[in-house]
Amino acid sequence: MQRTKGYLDEQFCQIEDLQDETSPNFAEEVVSLFFKDSVRLVTNIEQAMEKYPEDFNRWDAHMQQLKGSCYSIGASKMNNECTLFRNNCGQENAEGCMRSFQKVKREHAILRQKLESYFQLLRQAGPAGTATRPAGK
Amino acid sequence: MAAAAPALSLAPMATTVTAAAAQKAASPKAAAGGDVRKVVPVMAAAADEVVVQELHVLAVDDSVVDRAVIAKILRSSKYRVTTVESATRALELLGLGLITNVNMIITDYWMPGMTGYELLKRVKESSELKEIPVVIMSSENVPNRINRCLEEGAEDFLLKPVRPSDVSRLCSRIR
Repeated sequence: MQRTKGYLDEQFCQIEDLQDETSPNFAEEVVSLFFKDSVRLVTNIEQAMEKYPEDFNRWDAHMQQLKGSCYSIGASKMNNECTLFRNNCGQENAEGCMRSFQKVKREHAILRQKLESYFQLLRQAGPAGTATRPAGK
Repeated sequence: MAAAAPALSLAPMATTVTAAAAQKAASPKAAAGGDVRKVVPVMAAAADEVVVQELHVLAVDDSVVDRAVIAKILRSSKYRVTTVESATRALELLGLGLITNVNMIITDYWMPGMTGYELLKRVKESSELKEIPVVIMSSENVPNRINRCLEEGAEDFLLKPVRPSDVSRLCSRIR
């Protein structure tokens, strides 16, 4: 988890801790759900920013959902960028929102990359066919 | 056919306590109470008195990630779980009798459309559903909100992220 330090917080560990014999890949499944959802939410924000210029309430409402998702899997860096975006909405700073949004998208891409590497690593280290964190890690 | 029925019908089974169950019940918590509603899961040795405890929880949350996590936590504690993505949908399915025998509803507070608070009110106003304990979850710690929910009859209010320990503490009371 060293390489993902700072990107993921304790909440991610809690999700991993829920893994058991009945759901040995639970964390990976949740992460997969997260990315399916976050891609949709990012697109919503993008479209909202195009279609509804300066509609900060709308932009904020969309970002609130994305932020909630980040919080749920412990994606702390991305969560922080989402917060900054919402702050810009609160200040009605369209330029600031544009910049923040780019950062949100960048963190999103980095996070996906890191998690993909992480699960790949676990698969190589663990029993064949499962991405399970070794016990006592 | 009221969904509330199972929650009440568990109470009489408290009398069929076997030695094993009595041992389990001799925890500090059980000793302190004498709460008639509390039921200890029983797998009775007596031939005709097999009691299988399976509580059904309805989990309502608009976040797909949160639904997956809360469902996992509940299932790991041997509950049967139905997940729904909105309060309106939950009420719809309950009303149509497509979700039945619900022993507890656990719902997010902030959801688009109907909030968890509004769901709580609707459940408590319904003669069929009002006996079902409703638990509210929220990522925000707002005392006024918490009080309002409890005053409206919420069983409990959990701060997200919800932990397995929160759920087991909760469910041991509901039982």
